[in-house]
Amino acid sequence: MADDVTAVVVDDHPVVRAGVGHWLSSEGIALVASGEDPEVAWTGPGAEASVVVLDLHLGGVAPALAALRRLVEDGRRVVVYSMRADDEVVLQCLEIGALSYLTKAEGAEHLVQAVRAAAAGQSYTPPALAGALAGDSSETRPALSPRETEVLVEWFQSESKEFVAQRLNITLSTVNSHLERIRVKYAAIGRQAPTKAALVARAIQDGLIGLDDL
Amino acid sequence: MTDHAVFATTRRVLVVVVFAVQLVLTLPSLVERGHGPAAWTAYALLTAVLGVVAGHVAAGGAALPVVVAAPLTALVLTSSVLAAVALPGGASFGPADWAFGLVGWYLLLVLVDRPKALVTALAAHVCLCAGWFAHAGNGDVGTAGVVILSGTSFQVSILVITRVLLRDARLAAEAAAERDAARTRAALARQREQDLRAGFEGQLGALLPLLADLADEVVGVDDEATRLRCSVAAVQLRRLFAENDDVPDPLLHELTACVDVAERRGVVVSLAVSGTATAVPTEVRRELVAPMARALAAASGRAKVSLLRTATEVRVAVVADAPETVPDNPDAPVSVAVETSVHSGLVRSEARWRTT
Repeated sequence: MADDVTAVVVDDHPVVRAGVGHWLSSEGIALVASGEDPEVAWTGPGAEASVVVLDLHLGGVAPALAALRRLVEDGRRVVVYSMRADDEVVLQCLEIGALSYLTKAEGAEHLVQAVRAAAAGQSYTPPALAGALAGDSSETRPALSPRETEVLVEWFQSESKEFVAQRLNITLSTVNSHLERIRVKYAAIGRQAPTKAALVARAIQDGLIGLDDL
Repeated sequence: MTDHAVFATTRRVLVVVVFAVQLVLTLPSLVERGHGPAAWTAYALLTAVLGVVAGHVAAGGAALPVVVAAPLTALVLTSSVLAAVALPGGASFGPADWAFGLVGWYLLLVLVDRPKALVTALAAHVCLCAGWFAHAGNGDVGTAGVVILSGTSFQVSILVITRVLLRDARLAAEAAAERDAARTRAALARQREQDLRAGFEGQLGALLPLLADLADEVVGVDDEATRLRCSVAAVQLRRLFAENDDVPDPLLHELTACVDVAERRGVVVSLAVSGTATAVPTEVRRELVAPMARALAAASGRAKVSLLRTATEVRVAVVADAPETVPDNPDAPVSVAVETSVHSGLVRSEARWRTT
């Protein structure tokens, strides 16, 4: 299965770059460039890649949030792929405009889905990210409906959307659209970014969410 | 013995002394030498003071309030003046001077618990008498000196003895209080240890009957149900060991301990944590962890344990490959809501506790 999704991987560990490249290419996603410096996503074939898979911890102690911000402001679609599951950093990445945040404990399946979604300009919410959103007690958090919260929590707890659908007696696509609505609500808060604006605009166009919900 | 007791006793003794001095030593001299009406007025005033203090002592009071002590002191000093002035010239400090010693005793009686005021009043009394003596100008200075010295030094020494007694009484009271506190601390420590032991015994509920059954060979480890009981007991025991550890996040610590036991059995467990640590009482922690511990004990294959802390809730959940039997909960939870369900080959058990 080949499509036109291309990716560039920024990670300081060669084994991770090789592993991610293998996972993506076995799903038909071409890895066009990889390297340990974010510059790889700005020059050569990496500059044309549709999705950037970015490790937040590139050798330094502080997360590479500046590199993420620079990419997002340029309209690049970024999937953050990190060792850390620190809620605060996770929420910060979403606020900056990352389309997904995956922890390295989450496997190939989630990474491939996240990259595909990002290539289409869509968000993807893996279980760890759902947990961070469910546990978000910051004052700026958007108002979620009880059902949306329940979907987040169940998805975080079970890691199985089929299980969530059965438990809540809804369909799989309803589970997905709840997760998407939540991400759109998050995209509508905080600083502006092209990816976030696109998420919101498309959700409104598709009738997934009304202006009143934001 | 407290300050109150020291002063009460001293004042009682002084009342007797003053009564004796006034009646036995002074009255005959007064009657015999036939002093004027001023001397008798002084005598009457002093008797009135004695009456007031004796009444106060009889009523069980120790310290004389300032409003009583001050006028009494004034009365005594007035008597001192009256008595001194009534004496014929040069008779001060002589055999005819009935009042000098007696007034000193009265001052001691009224002011024994106010050392500074007492010394001041005594000094004023001595100065008054000495002044009158000097004014008359024909007395024997040597005799006067001896009388003043012997009289006041005796009275001052009684004051000193009272202060020493008072200090010793305070030291003894402090020592007694310290001994009491030590005894209380020891009793509390014993009680705490007993509570801890009782707590452990209460928590060991599932383990003790199991050990007894194994020892009596009522059950054997080749039996699946017994293995399940062992597994449950192992997780419970491990959690109990973790319960009193001093760690920043006790709930997560206990969850990790349970996960550790399940992993040793070969279950692949992933643990996800979200939200910031909040304080959870020990009782609630037990109830939050128990359903997940039982499900983990029965799990085989894979399991996911999650801890979610929102602004209002703490939720501990486990989703595992559905076992054939999930052990029942012997104790109904009090403060948490537990929900267990099975869907598409997975068992989910969740305990929720509202923090607000």
